[in-house]
Amino acid sequence: MASHAIDRTRRMLSLVTYLRDRPGARVDEVARAFGITTDELISDLDVLPMCGTSYRGGDLLEIDTDGEHIWWRNADDLAAPLRIAADEATALLVAARAVATLPGLRESDREALLRATAKLETAAGETAGASSRLSVTFESESGVFADLDRAIAERRRVWLRYYSPARDEVTEREIDPVRLFAIGHTYVEAWCWRSEARRTFRLDRVAEIRLLDETSDPPAVEPRDLSAGLVQPAVDDPQVVVEVAPGGRWVAEYYPHDSAEELPDGGLRITLRTPEPASLRRLALRLGPDGRIVAPRELAESAREAARHALAAYGE
Amino acid sequence: MAIVKAERLMNVALCLLGARRPLTKRELRGSVEAYIEASGDDSFNRMFERDKEDLRELGLVIDAVENLEGETGYLARRDSNRLPPITFDAAEATALGLAARVWQQARLAGAASGALQKLHAAGGMPVQESGEGPDGATARRASGEPGQAYPHSALEPYIPAREAAFEPLMLACRDRRPVVFDYRKSNSARPERRQVEPWTLECWRGQWYLAGYDRDRQAERVFRLSRITGAVRSKAAAFTAPVPDQVTVRESVERWAGERSSRSARIRLRSGAGYPLRARAGMVREVGDGWDELEIPYGHGLDAWLVEFGPDVLVLEPAELRADVVDRLRAVAKG
Repeated sequence: MASHAIDRTRRMLSLVTYLRDRPGARVDEVARAFGITTDELISDLDVLPMCGTSYRGGDLLEIDTDGEHIWWRNADDLAAPLRIAADEATALLVAARAVATLPGLRESDREALLRATAKLETAAGETAGASSRLSVTFESESGVFADLDRAIAERRRVWLRYYSPARDEVTEREIDPVRLFAIGHTYVEAWCWRSEARRTFRLDRVAEIRLLDETSDPPAVEPRDLSAGLVQPAVDDPQVVVEVAPGGRWVAEYYPHDSAEELPDGGLRITLRTPEPASLRRLALRLGPDGRIVAPRELAESAREAARHALAAYGE
Repeated sequence: MAIVKAERLMNVALCLLGARRPLTKRELRGSVEAYIEASGDDSFNRMFERDKEDLRELGLVIDAVENLEGETGYLARRDSNRLPPITFDAAEATALGLAARVWQQARLAGAASGALQKLHAAGGMPVQESGEGPDGATARRASGEPGQAYPHSALEPYIPAREAAFEPLMLACRDRRPVVFDYRKSNSARPERRQVEPWTLECWRGQWYLAGYDRDRQAERVFRLSRITGAVRSKAAAFTAPVPDQVTVRESVERWAGERSSRSARIRLRSGAGYPLRARAGMVREVGDGWDELEIPYGHGLDAWLVEFGPDVLVLEPAELRADVVDRLRAVAKG
């Protein structure tokens, strides 16, 4: 919880600075500037009058609010704008640099990011130095990104040829894009008229894209909550059990799973759920000597069958 | 608990910022409520040391000065704590607002919004229009009318950092402190203890990597954070090897993943199948009977990847790759 107290203290110090120059500031405007709810702001305002400004005691901050406006009655020069800390500079600079290098981003956005980064580096001075020890690259397909960005801005339907690895096939579909997001790779969340459902598409799997003249009209659905990760198997998805040797332990890193039990040989017994068990046939093939599907049996057999079929072409 | 602590930190920060001369621990102990209530010297000292660290964490420069009686006094000088004048135009402010929402890691997310709050408080940020709050982009799109102008890319970038090793390694890189952790290489059963001087952390394709100097191997190494098992422990000690100016995690990983290979392989691929292989192919030509012939880069891991496509791929050359693929297929066929 320490970090919460640090965040809160940092916010309250900034609040004091903010209020010094803006007597009678509106509660809703302050909350917006600080990126917090009005309730969070009000709870900060409850704490501030308990804070003294000198070691002799007694000199408490006289900050009060009528619920709409806020006043600091005994404002003084104590609250000069505070310098940016090393972690703060790092957090903003690393994120801004990462976004600025995303292929396909609008040039005006990229320039604004770079200008802001340069100013921040100057203001942070030496403390900005540590930010070079952290870096992030987003992968994106610049042409596809720019087209989808335009489609969202112009509210247009999009035609795609899209590769789905689960079935190793490229299909055509029309989608109404809703938002673009990047977590390592870049994705578009859209209403897919082929599957009549909300779908997420990875940009590097788009084989071809065209903007249509039709207006995009996606049914209203909740945007996906991405805080828990991109792949979130459903409770009622079928279960698959995979046993891997040490060389196949990476499976547990790539696939969200229910459990991974250690095996005596240094391998793992991984239980996972997937809406499309057939897609794991590819995983079984990929693992080769490093693992096999244990259950369901039909799936294990279909992987063996595919391997035998492939071997026949080599004259085996 | 957080309120109590935040209130205490606020009091200490304001005391130190307001002081015209260094304040001794005694003076501070007599003025901050929580310190007065501290049960003994030890408990007060521990609390005060932690608080100083926490305040430094949020950017406060606290000087320790010895007075004539040899007693240490503390103060936060205004000139060393003041943000230099800085102003942003609307586009730059939007850009920073976007950057501040990128981290999915608690500590850095808190630091990013804290920085933004400082900039707002300093008055250098243009006043935002309503609806441009933290979720302004989404809100704007949801309520957007057809034909409405969208001045910025419709992008929501996120940086995940779920690995427990991330935060301790980030701090160790920042403070240049050597670390010790257990690391399990991709193909080994048991983790091994590694002693590393950490240089940089890099996120690529959603995975975090650490580059540093491996003390036992006496060479530069790249570690994937998801393969660190157990806790990362850092030691207050100096680095023994020089830190290079440029560290290229991504290149090492790409080289290892065979993405920079100079060799190539020739395969046969069933028409319509294996789009990702086609996307990487240098040459594709139809050979009839529903098959195409492709030339693709041959790097580490290509054999396993090709086997994924089962009977839709046939390796023509080199013979070495062909043999590897056949071996893997045999293993799967045996089940």
